[in-house]
Amino acid sequence: MDIVVKTAGDDFFSRLAQMFENVIHQGHGSLALVFLIGVIFGGIIQYTRVDKFEKIAGFAMLKDTIVPKMLFLAVGLTSIALYFMIEAGWAHYHVKPIIWQGLIIGGTLFGISMAIFGKCPGTGPVSIAEGRIDVLIGAIGGLLGGLVFTLYYDDFFKPLMGTSAGKLTLPKLFPGHEHLVVLIFGIIVTLIAIVIPKVEMFDEADLSKLPDDQRPDRV
Amino acid sequence: MARLPWWMGGILMSMLLLMTFSVFGADRPIGASTYVPYFADLIFDLDPEKYSYLKEIQNPGAWEGVMLMGALFGGFVTSVFITKSFRFSLIPTGWKRYKNNSVLSRLLWSFFAGFVMIIGARLAGGCTSGHFMSGMSQMAISSMIFGTVVMISLLITGKLFYNKEEK
Repeated sequence: MDIVVKTAGDDFFSRLAQMFENVIHQGHGSLALVFLIGVIFGGIIQYTRVDKFEKIAGFAMLKDTIVPKMLFLAVGLTSIALYFMIEAGWAHYHVKPIIWQGLIIGGTLFGISMAIFGKCPGTGPVSIAEGRIDVLIGAIGGLLGGLVFTLYYDDFFKPLMGTSAGKLTLPKLFPGHEHLVVLIFGIIVTLIAIVIPKVEMFDEADLSKLPDDQRPDRV
Repeated sequence: MARLPWWMGGILMSMLLLMTFSVFGADRPIGASTYVPYFADLIFDLDPEKYSYLKEIQNPGAWEGVMLMGALFGGFVTSVFITKSFRFSLIPTGWKRYKNNSVLSRLLWSFFAGFVMIIGARLAGGCTSGHFMSGMSQMAISSMIFGTVVMISLLITGKLFYNKEEK
């Protein structure tokens, strides 16, 4: 028996099938690879526990610094390696444009909600996958936010974002010294990751797995 | 405790970013917030011909949608078999300690924050993954502006929103 996948329709499942079809045809990795990137992404987030409320909201309260340490290390290492890969023709930059109003208004809203929610769009789903109901409710809020954004994009959000001031990268500001700028940036950001003092806030579930003499709350 | 140290997480995340950027991989950055309006449009059955934003996110939305399904799967498998942290819960420990014990309060704030978060991410054109990790790695000025604004607003909110004294 053949399995028939309907991709021409307009119902939810046809459109879901169109999503897979789109990824197959857009030339940014095979369907399996994109899925695998997601699996590794979710796995790293879960295995390092940065999907926890205590990690992100904890950073907002300055009681946990694992997220910035990990984030800055990843950025520092990637920036240097990526530059070499681009020089070798193995990768390209995909820089986002400078849209001042959008970045400032959006960034402010994002920071406020990140502190309250204790999640971001990447860590949220991983939290849901480990059974967090409150995050699931937040995701429903997010879906409505996405809906509102699409509905009022032309009339409200696009004018609010303002116009693009172009795509710019730090090395481009120093013509002739690109290599040096990349190296200095990468090293400084990596060093920041290392020198940020390590402070941690645990949740009950993680604490209960530690042996008694290693529990930071009992020392 | 089944947990990777932060430096291992940073190195692995960096390798994943590089693989995704590479022409042998996906030849694009990692992003995570575009799938939200994409799925919203799918669920609420919006007509792509009628809304210009839907057309704009057609490709990145689909890509991130598939990646998200992978992330859900990866997160689930890791939480069940490796970290063994899978459990249904309503209020995070930190919320109980520094905010309150009310389930309703946590759910309402989650809903509100989720709503605002996606509006914010889409206004800025990216989120923690797209701007912070992928964008900063490319040394994009836009991402540095975003990163600075988010840090300031995150820390101010953290100071004002939560109780300083433990409950």
